[in-house]
Amino acid sequence: MMLNKNIYFKELKHHRTSFIGWCLSIMVLILLDMALYPILMKDDFLKQLSVIFENPFLKGLMTAFGATLDGFVNVLGFYTARNSMFILLLGSFFSILLAGKILSQEEHEKTAEFLLTKPVTRIEIVWSKLAAYFSLLLTLNIVILITGFISIEIFKGDSEYRLAAFLIHTFYCFLLMLTVGAVGLFLSLWIKRGRPTTNISIGIVIGGYFIDAASKVTPKLDIIGYLSPFKYVDSSVLSPEYGLAWWRILYFLGFSLLFFTLTFIFYKKKDILI
Amino acid sequence: MEQRELTSLIETQNLTKSYGKDRGIVDLNLEIESGEIFGFIGPNGAGKSTTIRTLLGLIFPTSGSGSIFGLDIVKKTKDIKKQIGYMPAEVNYYHKMDVRELLDYSADFYDTDCRSRIEELAEIFTLDLDRKILDLSRGNQKKVSILQSLIHQPKLLILDEPTTGLDPLMRAKFFNILQEENSRGTTIFLSSHTLSEVQKLCRRVGIIKEGRIIAVEDIETLRKKQLRIVQIEFPHAVKNDEIDCPGVIDPLANLNNLSFMFSGEMDSLLKALAEKEIKDLIIEEPTLEEIFMHYYEDKSEKERD
Repeated sequence: MMLNKNIYFKELKHHRTSFIGWCLSIMVLILLDMALYPILMKDDFLKQLSVIFENPFLKGLMTAFGATLDGFVNVLGFYTARNSMFILLLGSFFSILLAGKILSQEEHEKTAEFLLTKPVTRIEIVWSKLAAYFSLLLTLNIVILITGFISIEIFKGDSEYRLAAFLIHTFYCFLLMLTVGAVGLFLSLWIKRGRPTTNISIGIVIGGYFIDAASKVTPKLDIIGYLSPFKYVDSSVLSPEYGLAWWRILYFLGFSLLFFTLTFIFYKKKDILI
Repeated sequence: MEQRELTSLIETQNLTKSYGKDRGIVDLNLEIESGEIFGFIGPNGAGKSTTIRTLLGLIFPTSGSGSIFGLDIVKKTKDIKKQIGYMPAEVNYYHKMDVRELLDYSADFYDTDCRSRIEELAEIFTLDLDRKILDLSRGNQKKVSILQSLIHQPKLLILDEPTTGLDPLMRAKFFNILQEENSRGTTIFLSSHTLSEVQKLCRRVGIIKEGRIIAVEDIETLRKKQLRIVQIEFPHAVKNDEIDCPGVIDPLANLNNLSFMFSGEMDSLLKALAEKEIKDLIIEEPTLEEIFMHYYEDKSEKERD
């Protein structure tokens, strides 16, 4: 058994309060934002915004955030365009921050000396912490799924949408969060002791997000967009062909697996200097 | 030789650890026997903590090897730690927890039931189990560390500067507990930078300096080294070389007074003194600290040559 229950439950308990905070924030943001949908649909309010969408500069900007006028009219299009920002950004922040500190915090706060002198292998430590991280990330995504679904159902009005598209998009978001988490966990091994991983983690997420946004605005930058994991989240939820693409899943799972594996390999050999 | 291997609990062979700017340890050969209290003495930065962290698998040896309970310190570290209680030099615990939570968390790593022992020790050390770790003074954090190292009744205690931050009363209680544990068969590896503090407890001491073991001695042998401190008062001013006798070490003249350490034949010293006019004479046994310091400087001088 690779999992040390003692460590696993201690981690869940340790992050309980902040986790509830993250969940509540995301839930409130989703609900508030979806409550805007019926207001914007009323009296063709959105049509009046078409001026914005026709302005070449603003059009580019809106595209960067994944918004098109047609997309906005549909409830799922609205949800994806508006909420992707919260869900993807906040979810990625949550994931990378948690993964970045779940292991490195022991060194940062010098408790590694306590933990590593207990009868537990380093592999077990990483497994148990990874399991706790994964449980919390999965729970957060279930919360997002339920909140998203309920808010769409409440506010959709006459708009029709494909449930499958909603589920697939949510799944992509989850995979993205997992991937940035894996990167965060791996990087936290290399941060010098005494320095928190927060800055670099936030930098990675914001950097990735804007590389992707920039690539959407300028077709020339399209290739560069593939450097960012955000690019691999397919947001064209209104397209009739929208579905699971194996190469996207392979990308996310491949990178996650790679960085998690590297974490095991390096942590096993790492000198823990307090 | 076979017999000896069976009884040695900690054994290192040319254990070396070098990293970054820190000196680490060089070719460390240690043998600690089952059931003994071993003092590991050296100034700060000599490599005491590096040795302990290598033994406990926090850091990995650059070369050489080591074993505890006959198990390899790199490959079998989990099995080793089942039987070890460790007190770090600096106590750092999870701030959010209270003392009981921390001790329960610690206890859950072991198969033994530690509950009654926690209560028992908390009473001896007058430690409030419901306080938050963050609110504890350094001395109280040290007590948590003591409990944490003892509650699972380990066969080997590794204590790194365990008494810093403890008041004399707690120190005495702590030493009593250590003696009790030892009489039950627990081996104790005690690191300290002051010999006088551990000399009552330890049977043997290892002296480490600049990453190397410079001596491993029985406390008794060290005591019996026949080293004496001699202080003489003359009726007139004297120079350092006033007394010419083999065995005089580091003579130091100050006006009419001369003091030195003496390791030679007492008879020849007295005969040498009989030729002089003397006002007063004091010959006393040095503290272990002084023997140790002498030993220490002597060795390092040889090293430099």
